[in-house]
Amino acid sequence: MSESAPRLAGLAASPDSALEVPGPVRLAREPHLSMWSVVERPATARSSPGGGRRIARLRTRTPEGTDNIVLVRRRARDASGGVWVEAVLPVLPNGTTGWIPRDALGGYRRVRTHLIVNLRLLTATLERGGRRVFRAPVGVGMQQWPTPRGRFYIRSKLVRYRSTFYGPLAFGTSARSAVLTDWPDGGFVGVHGTGRPDLIPGRISHGCIRMRNTDIVRLGRLMPVGTPVTIL
Amino acid sequence: MHEVSFERLDVDGAIAESAERAGVISRGAFLAGALGGSVAVLGLAGERAVAQGPGPNDVAILNYALILEYLQAAFYTEAQRMKALRGRAADAANVVGAVERAHVAAFRDLLGSKAISRPSFDFQGTTEDQNAFLKTAVAFEDLAVAAYKGQATRIKASSALAAALAIHSVEARHAAWMRYLFGVEPASHAFDQPRSKQQITRVVNSTNFITSSPSTEGSRTPRYTG
Repeated sequence: MSESAPRLAGLAASPDSALEVPGPVRLAREPHLSMWSVVERPATARSSPGGGRRIARLRTRTPEGTDNIVLVRRRARDASGGVWVEAVLPVLPNGTTGWIPRDALGGYRRVRTHLIVNLRLLTATLERGGRRVFRAPVGVGMQQWPTPRGRFYIRSKLVRYRSTFYGPLAFGTSARSAVLTDWPDGGFVGVHGTGRPDLIPGRISHGCIRMRNTDIVRLGRLMPVGTPVTIL
Repeated sequence: MHEVSFERLDVDGAIAESAERAGVISRGAFLAGALGGSVAVLGLAGERAVAQGPGPNDVAILNYALILEYLQAAFYTEAQRMKALRGRAADAANVVGAVERAHVAAFRDLLGSKAISRPSFDFQGTTEDQNAFLKTAVAFEDLAVAAYKGQATRIKASSALAAALAIHSVEARHAAWMRYLFGVEPASHAFDQPRSKQQITRVVNSTNFITSSPSTEGSRTPRYTG
């Protein structure tokens, strides 16, 4: 080593690296993570992985023309090794889940938000990572057209349409009215603005969750599609 | 339906080069801007750091590397979240995933506002099956090693080359690890061949793992119950 040292003395110093790689980035615990996926091809949801009874036929598009999505709960294999995904489905009765072949779905996407609608307090609260980031008073269904309780998800987001009734922005949910089953497009429950802010908060709607336009615009900036919704 | 071309992700640095051509920013200003993050990280300052930093060519190469790192990081992260792997494959996914995420963080820090955005991915179930995971991991790691090697002689700034080499050897270790776990020889050749960007692009595109974002926003008038 000492003999070769004089010959190496003429070498230039090593260049500095343009970047400094930090230590390994461990995956943090993710208690508030939810996953969703797009329905890439029409598929039948079943009551068990690989079989069971037919629960629903899933299309690739929603009635609003957006990509149809499902909220992913868990995965399992069938007897032949095929992967199936259990998902919350946008069908009646509300809260229905079913098993979908993995290859009918697209990539998994994730959200850390959760919308909680309290029918007693007439409030909508958005949490991100378990912390409240939004709260607003809401209008909910009248007694004869109740807003359904349960666990759902945000399925689409509509903007730039012409309707003062729905306000400037509307989220589509997977919840459906159990009463207005003959409503156009199946009676889905939306979260949207209003042309009658004076009625909020109150039990004023056909099942939808209405909020003041300033609130729905603010929620539109905070809540991504795929967010789980709990109505209690 | 949602596949997009790897070529469409601006890996050729068109944004930066166009801006310079149009005279929107000077070359010096661009270099300084592109280097902003790294100067802060390394504690470098002054003319020397700027003069030796990545120019538009190197920024394009670094963004190309960033896309490959995004791809790998997303793959291992999803595998970790799916919890479908067992034993040493699961352990390897945890370790390698943490390292690939660190690579992403480092490139994003270096490139600052010039960093390309993270694409969407659909790994088509390969993160949910032990055998498919290992097979894909071998392919990814071999691909990354060949990609870094393919760009090494094209990198202009010595600091960018040093950075690429620092990661290249780590990717080679990952490749050997995944090959071992998958049951193929970790190092069977005396020399490794580089792969050009075109070759890498062709391989990545053929997987359809890079996808466009879902179309979940529309403008039809709602017909909700109201």
